[in-house]
Amino acid sequence: MKISIDPVTRIEGHLKVETFIEGNKVVDAKAHADMYRGIEKALIGYDYLAAIQITQRACGCCPYAHAEAAALAIEDALDIELNKNGKLLRNLIIAGYKVNDYVLHFYTLSSLDFIDVTAILNYKGNSDKLNQFKEVVKRELQSKSIFPSPIFTNRYKGNYLELKELNIALINHYLEHFEFLRKSNELVRIFGSKAPHMVSIEAGGVTTKPTPERVLKYIELLKEVKKFVEEKYIPDVLIVGSHFKEYFKIGKGVNNFLSVNTILDLDGNYLFWDGFSKDFNIPEKVDPNEIIEYQDYSYYKRDGAYKPLELQELLPLSLEEFKQNKKKYSWSKAPRYKDEVVEVGPAAVVINNYLRGNKKVVDLVDKFNKMLGITIKDYNSVMGRHLSRAILSKIIVEKLEEWINLVDIDELGFIQLKNVPNNVRGIGLTEATRGVLAHFTDIGENGFIRNYDMVVPTTWNISPLDGKNRHGALEEMLIGTKVKDPKNPIEIARIIRSIDPCLACSVH
Amino acid sequence: MNRREFLKKVYDFLVMSYLGSLITFEELDALEKSINKPTIVWLHAQSCDGCSTSLLEGEIPFEDILFKFANIAFHPTIMAATGEEALKQLIEAKDVGDFILVVEGGIPVAMPHACIFGDRFITDWIIDLAKKADVVIAAGTCSSFTGICAMDGMYTGDVSLKRFLRDNNIETPVVNLPTCPMKPHHFLYVFFYFLKTKKLPPLDKENRPKEIFGETVHDRCIYYHDYQEKIFAKKIGDRGCLFKLGCQGPVTYNDCEKSSFRYDKYNCIKSGHPCIGCGSENFPRKIMFKRYDDEREIKKYKDFKRIL
Repeated sequence: MKISIDPVTRIEGHLKVETFIEGNKVVDAKAHADMYRGIEKALIGYDYLAAIQITQRACGCCPYAHAEAAALAIEDALDIELNKNGKLLRNLIIAGYKVNDYVLHFYTLSSLDFIDVTAILNYKGNSDKLNQFKEVVKRELQSKSIFPSPIFTNRYKGNYLELKELNIALINHYLEHFEFLRKSNELVRIFGSKAPHMVSIEAGGVTTKPTPERVLKYIELLKEVKKFVEEKYIPDVLIVGSHFKEYFKIGKGVNNFLSVNTILDLDGNYLFWDGFSKDFNIPEKVDPNEIIEYQDYSYYKRDGAYKPLELQELLPLSLEEFKQNKKKYSWSKAPRYKDEVVEVGPAAVVINNYLRGNKKVVDLVDKFNKMLGITIKDYNSVMGRHLSRAILSKIIVEKLEEWINLVDIDELGFIQLKNVPNNVRGIGLTEATRGVLAHFTDIGENGFIRNYDMVVPTTWNISPLDGKNRHGALEEMLIGTKVKDPKNPIEIARIIRSIDPCLACSVH
Repeated sequence: MNRREFLKKVYDFLVMSYLGSLITFEELDALEKSINKPTIVWLHAQSCDGCSTSLLEGEIPFEDILFKFANIAFHPTIMAATGEEALKQLIEAKDVGDFILVVEGGIPVAMPHACIFGDRFITDWIIDLAKKADVVIAAGTCSSFTGICAMDGMYTGDVSLKRFLRDNNIETPVVNLPTCPMKPHHFLYVFFYFLKTKKLPPLDKENRPKEIFGETVHDRCIYYHDYQEKIFAKKIGDRGCLFKLGCQGPVTYNDCEKSSFRYDKYNCIKSGHPCIGCGSENFPRKIMFKRYDDEREIKKYKDFKRIL
């Protein structure tokens, strides 16, 4: 039988997932990316710097990463090194945004799959916030209205958390996290100008001058952000993990992981390291020239696999062709590294850094593994991915504290660019919230873009079949999963959300 | 925070969002008690989710406000329901009617298959739902003016929501809230204006609320006097008007500077960067930021004018 989840809500963008079930087990899966804009080839003819602003608009959740990758690509092409404040301020923006995004993913997008919101009905305390929420849930449960239907209680039936007190504590944190998001959003805006879609990240650094007021405000907000991450977010992930132990085995995908160097520190080292690992062996160094993208099952006229910047245009199927088409099923392309299917994202970063011996990661992973009774191999799972985000957040907030204290007050972290460039190419690699992000720019005459390509995290993860009929990472994770009740496929929803799919990004 | 404190806080936000003269505190109190709360259906067309993110993370506690003053029937990023259960809401909505429709993202007319939702083209959903809605809010620059969804060289043939409805003979009133992403307090303004009067606020010829989009960014700019004195910044970090670095402030109608004491504290110009005109009907331009001595021309306003 076929289970079709359409639309998948609480992700970013338009995703439909079809699974085919035999004897309660998923035997085949299809991830349909249902939205297309065509930003990368439309950039042709635009100014080389405009790419920084325009590519951000691919995604409203991780715009910072596109800004960074686009800026890195230009800096790579023009051979620019940022000054001290440039490096620090950029880290303060992008790393701060990452933490915001991780927390958003856990609470806003995922936690309602684990928390039992109806437990709030048993709440007897006197917190205004919880009592108000209790009223909302009570009203929802009493309501027989089909439209508008209850926004919290209309959900899949399944094994939600059972302990009342724990549920209530988590609901409290769920409600509090909105306040956290507002704070961390402001944290990003201090040097980023606005969020999403900041303007101050430019090739050459950051245009915001770190005035004393801004630095002090950052320090003040960072304290609260750090507190929430350390006292609420991380313990919550651990406790949900310990109550859903089976989810350290569910959602296992391919054992190939790809990550790239990200967040450059002042000493020239990166906070998280690159790597391409197979079956938990020592990772090898990453070469962006090994990336190819298949289009055989994607709604584009051409089949085959191409390297970034190889194609000058990307023609989508016309409506007529689309209607007649039987084979192609997604707007997403199918990127492969060294012609292999890989998983990217926080789990890939944690696994590769652990295998390469990045001390900060190793220490935390060892500590959490002991607490939960798991091994590094269990990070290839639903809970492993949630836990990985928590680990990265913890490392990042500590670094943010260090960096903000190193900022030279009132010194501009921006280097004036030289004249308009002609005929140069550059590659910008970074880790976005959801994994490896690569921008390839080809600047032609007079500074106008001749060709542009973006290979985006979610494209790796939700890719359709490739020219050799191999499934993408998410499809692999779904295949083999046991579904208890096909009418309430909560296992599938949890797996999909664990990779934090961002469809707006993935097709751009 | 008890109820009264909460309402006070909301009222504060309303005052900051140009609503002080329209709604009194007592009226706000009554609106919260009222059982006839408007229903919101929020659709994602070719969106990046930025407008939703901006709304939920902005300085206004929107999750609280929306739960108290509205019923959210459909919002893909926050609803618990998934798949069929979620889709049922849209199917019900087009039968029941009487709701506020919010559309985020551009509308791909030449390639309706570029945005599919529940096995239907988004264009079909919008036609069905907009007919039954009381008002339609175009959230952000993409649905107001096509923005990033209609760059040169795109195949999707995006049009603005206003034009799409006109082409399909749908007469439901539309309000445009351009800015990339939409600003939360703009939404708050329109929402409460509608809540109180059951009407849209006064609009300009581009269907933008006059109160918000009456002046250009340049009119209220902190560097306005520098501009008049012809003191221009030659590079980032210099004192002076950013016009010669590509600033779009003079041709962009928005309240970035007007509201900078409250909501746009860290706005682009204050962060040292020229305005890129993200709320303008000509966004994105081919050149948005350049060197002082860069001779390439930023095309004049008219050359870029799109069909809205």
